Amino acid sequence: MKYVLYQLKKHPLAIVGIIIILFWLIAAFFGPSLVPFTHTQMDSEHQMVGPGTNGHILGTDSLGRDLLARIVYGSRSILTVALMTSIVSTIVGVLLGFSAGYFGGRIDAAFLRSMDILMAIPPLVLSMVVLGILGDSSILSLTLIVSIAFVPATARVSRGVLLTEKSQEYVSAARIRGENHLYIMFVEILPNTTGPIIVEATARFAYSIMMVASLGFLGVGMQPPTPDWGMMVIENKPIIAQAPGAVLFPALAIASLVIAISIFSDFVSKVLIHER
Amino acid sequence: MNDNILDINHLQVRFETFDGVFSAVNDVSLSLGHNESIGIIGESGCGKSTLSFAVMKYLANNASVDGSIRFKGEELLEKSEKEMEAFRGNRIAMVFQNPYSSLNPALTIGFQLDEVGIHHQKLSKQKARHATLEALGMMNIGDPQGIVRRYPHQVSGGIQQRICIAMAILCRPDLMILDEPTTALDVTTEAVILDSIKELRAKLSMSLMYISHDMGVINKVAEHVVVMYNGEIVERGPKNQIFENPTHPYTRSLINCMPRGGVVKENTKLNTIPGYVRRRGALESGCPFVDRCEKRNDTCESKYGIREVGERHFAACDRAYATDVPDILKEKLIPRPRTTSLALNSHKELLKIENLHKVYGARRKVYAVNGIDVTVHPESVIGVVGESGCGKSTTGHMVSGLYKPTKGTIMFNGTDISIAWNKRSKDTLKKIQLIFQNPGRSLNPSHTVEQIIARPMKRLANMHNATERRQRIVDMLKKVDLGKEYLEKKPKQLSGGEQQRVAIARALSISPDLIVCDEPTSALDVSVQASVLNLLNDLQLETHAAYMFISHDLNVINYLSDYIMVMYAGKICEYGKRDEVMAPPFHPYTEALLSAMPEVDPTKQKKVIEITGQLPDPAKKPKGCPFAGRCHKQVGEICEREYPPMVRLSDTHYYHCHIKAMVE
Repeated sequence: MKYVLYQLKKHPLAIVGIIIILFWLIAAFFGPSLVPFTHTQMDSEHQMVGPGTNGHILGTDSLGRDLLARIVYGSRSILTVALMTSIVSTIVGVLLGFSAGYFGGRIDAAFLRSMDILMAIPPLVLSMVVLGILGDSSILSLTLIVSIAFVPATARVSRGVLLTEKSQEYVSAARIRGENHLYIMFVEILPNTTGPIIVEATARFAYSIMMVASLGFLGVGMQPPTPDWGMMVIENKPIIAQAPGAVLFPALAIASLVIAISIFSDFVSKVLIHER
Repeated sequence: MNDNILDINHLQVRFETFDGVFSAVNDVSLSLGHNESIGIIGESGCGKSTLSFAVMKYLANNASVDGSIRFKGEELLEKSEKEMEAFRGNRIAMVFQNPYSSLNPALTIGFQLDEVGIHHQKLSKQKARHATLEALGMMNIGDPQGIVRRYPHQVSGGIQQRICIAMAILCRPDLMILDEPTTALDVTTEAVILDSIKELRAKLSMSLMYISHDMGVINKVAEHVVVMYNGEIVERGPKNQIFENPTHPYTRSLINCMPRGGVVKENTKLNTIPGYVRRRGALESGCPFVDRCEKRNDTCESKYGIREVGERHFAACDRAYATDVPDILKEKLIPRPRTTSLALNSHKELLKIENLHKVYGARRKVYAVNGIDVTVHPESVIGVVGESGCGKSTTGHMVSGLYKPTKGTIMFNGTDISIAWNKRSKDTLKKIQLIFQNPGRSLNPSHTVEQIIARPMKRLANMHNATERRQRIVDMLKKVDLGKEYLEKKPKQLSGGEQQRVAIARALSISPDLIVCDEPTSALDVSVQASVLNLLNDLQLETHAAYMFISHDLNVINYLSDYIMVMYAGKICEYGKRDEVMAPPFHPYTEALLSAMPEVDPTKQKKVIEITGQLPDPAKKPKGCPFAGRCHKQVGEICEREYPPMVRLSDTHYYHCHIKAMVE
């Protein structure tokens, strides 16, 4: 803990990142109850107004819906999907990557080839196709799709760290003690690979926000009336001249969150990897 | 002004880290005259390398440097980066420990050497190449014309290091700094390189700063010795003075703790230095060695300071011969009495290896072990010795089950165990334990000491009662001289010696019959090595386990073993009881190994049998004697053609060579 504070002092940018992340977390939890409007409430007298009009702090969109309420409410779905995605893809990736790297040989070759195939399809295209086929975009299906798209990357990272640990002598020592494979993989090796894996998970968190926003922008994200940052950007594009804020604010929300998480992820990697 | 090449005055190097400021080099003053050679010795973490990097101004940016370093009267600490370029590589050259990482693998050797001449001396391409060839010739590298076209990975480690030295002497520097240049190499190669460094000095008349942890190596190359401990010079002076009349207790312990000069376990217990090198804070004063010193008293802090004790001989302590405390370094330590006769003469067989082979790889085959027959008797210690790549570790790993033999059988207590670990019975796994070379890597860094030792007990010895187990772990830790407080520590919090003790405790906790020790002391400092060897020796007496002790260091093997097996290129050269093999050595390879061991006593200078050339290509199945290509006693064509017959000298002693057969 003391070490984390010491590193924070050396990397002041990380503090900014953490503050932004905390801001969005608080917004997602308490935001909707603090904003005087709901995300679906239409103010027919004040459509496309600028910030500060009639209590609309950030203004309204073409239907007169409060932008702040929609952004704050939208942060809930995007954060949920991103968090779940990074957890699911990390767990699945570790399971796949560890077994492939540990057993090696044909299992490893089969794993690598199938990951190559998955990686050959751009994740965005993959998700669009699958979502298009499913025809339904709920938080659950989005999580599932984005996780599938991210598993190749997390699995490869886990396989890589396993391979470096596998050659360590403590693994040999465990083998000639007759330990079974699961014990060696998850009790002996896993605790020593948490650093790179956690770093990868935080990076995936940032990527999945981008991904969910992009899917929303392309119209296959969360379905209306649930507000979605990506969708807000595209649906307000026609009124960009009258109310630039309607496009700008959701875009800023996406950017600030992604950049903040990236900075945080860099910091985590500095702390965790330097410590070893 | 004086004509010294290097004058260092009150040099301080401090590093600022998370744990606070600590000083790596503290108040160091020394001078080096023209054409003088100085050896810096100390254990790891004593600031030897930091000192040399400070001379080159190669320090990390959290370092702060005070004092003065004058090179031929010019103050180096005031030079800018740009000005330093004129010194680095040109007038001060440096050779590092690992030649493989100091050469660029993507460029040819010739190109890298030429660059030095072109950059520093503004030579034309042809002239630079000419200088390159000359420098390579000076290092006795055969066929320099051919070498310059090759890449670093195409030559052996010994040649690589010679190339690095050639690169250093290319500009005819006034000062050459060698930072443990032979530590990563085999003894035989080391002997050859040390000889060529000596020759170079005679030819080029340059000053030398040689850093090493090995007294024997320093003895060979240096005239003056500087002993460093924890960033401070504790003693310096002419070599003979230091070796014959060491004044600081640390110097004396360093000289005494190595198993040199043919000491054996039956009559000598090794001297050790308790404790380990502690990181020193910036504000501490007094003698840095005080917490490990047996002769400390209350003047150690108040009267501390370096003073002249003889002609050009300075020391920071004069208590070495103090009489108020008994001098335990002087007297030989008597080991515990042994009851060895029974075990040694028994014909019982604990482990019987027959015609053991190991071939790695499927397409490109590497013949690691090529037919070994050997028997290990219960309660005895067999030492396996040889250069790197001779198959000694592979043999040990096959015995312990990490690899499955390609051919041949290993019988253990009458059962065939030439199978891999996953097919062995629990009992076999329990009875054979392995201690690894690098304790830091063989202990899981995220488990506590208690978990580490408890696991084999739970798994192999069916000890499921937690309180009982804990009691046994505490007993085990006590046996390896560690206290109860170590239970909750993680390997990272321990020093190298403590880690190896934990590894030993883990191996012994389930009372095995055979312990395979794979170079257990080579990653440790000499003072720690001595205590680990003592410990292994005492524990063997207590537990009656047999050891298969693998090492590249003949002195260590000689100290600890009852039987010695000398290996070369996957074959046994010589096997026998310790005294039969060591005095005198019969196989030319054993003889060469023995002669290559650097001697600590400066009065005894022995003739080194230089073996040049490289190990035979392990990818080819050897025909004839594997050592023939490097042998100094080769008797003729027959050596290359036929595998030498076994020459039996006694029931227990034999070797493979043509010489005896030819004489008869």
